[in-house]
Amino acid sequence: MAASFSSRCYRVGRSLLGGLVNGFSGLRSTSNDLTCGNFLLQQQRTFIQMRTVLKVVDNSGAKKVMCIQALKGKKGARLGDTIIASVKEAHPNGKVKKGKVVYGVVVRAAMQRGRCDGSEVKFDDNAVVLVDKQGQPIGTRVFGPVPHELRQKKHVKILTLAEHIA
Amino acid sequence: MRLEKCWFCSSTIYPGHGIQFVRNDAKIFRFCRSKCHKNFKMKRNPRKVKWTKAYRRSHGKDMTQDSTFEFERKRNRPERYDRNVAEKVLKAIPKIDKVRVDREATHHKNRMKGKKSKEQKEAAKELEQGIVLVKAPAALQQDPSLTLPQKIKVKVSQKQSEENHAMEE
Repeated sequence: MAASFSSRCYRVGRSLLGGLVNGFSGLRSTSNDLTCGNFLLQQQRTFIQMRTVLKVVDNSGAKKVMCIQALKGKKGARLGDTIIASVKEAHPNGKVKKGKVVYGVVVRAAMQRGRCDGSEVKFDDNAVVLVDKQGQPIGTRVFGPVPHELRQKKHVKILTLAEHIA
Repeated sequence: MRLEKCWFCSSTIYPGHGIQFVRNDAKIFRFCRSKCHKNFKMKRNPRKVKWTKAYRRSHGKDMTQDSTFEFERKRNRPERYDRNVAEKVLKAIPKIDKVRVDREATHHKNRMKGKKSKEQKEAAKELEQGIVLVKAPAALQQDPSLTLPQKIKVKVSQKQSEENHAMEE
């Protein structure tokens, strides 16, 4: 409605009040900005790449890690891939300390990932479960939903620990 | 293989179609196409969007309560396989489908009852009120052909029809 009003104003300004065009066009641009903001509200989700901060969803002691290397893929890691990360935030007396370099499996990703049947799946946030170099989880619990694709990636232990499997 | 329903428009999602969004509390939202997914991201309420099944149900456009809906329902209890039962179910599906379609048709018919007469009444009223836009009232009085036409009876003689028959032959 605002857009139509402003466009009407603009037409009037152009036809009758040539000098006032600037003011009216200013009004019009603000309305355009509004629609633009609405459009940008849905951010394009991308790969988990260097400097992506992920939530840790196990009881290993770390709270937030930053991705420093994706072990597979040129563009970055996706759902189910393994990454190398550095611990940015940690609980005071956990197994993992701040500043350590750890391995992690991406168990939730906001970027959609194709499934074997051609449909797609996406999650609310980017989350990781910390594992050692052999792929065994460091913590003993996993919080929140995890995708069943982890079975193909040989992370059955994470699946058994998980609360929900989506 | 399970055929799921779209969270937004309640249409059937066939395998390999659409996208599913898993919220952090593990609730799964399935969408049949990007249209429904985008509407969800815009936080639209499917009950307020006119093209969805939810809107049509909540506004009395579609049939809501019917015994045929009981057959197509998600049951959490697994049923033990029985060959005879499976055979009977397969046989019953087309029949139940037909019953449902028929009932939906009668529902639609009942809903549309009186629509035609209402439309005609409104059109006649509009003509009566707006005829002055076409012709001035004074001119109308002189020329009666512009008012609503009265029913004119025309007598058709029997002879004429006979003549027609002769022509055809």
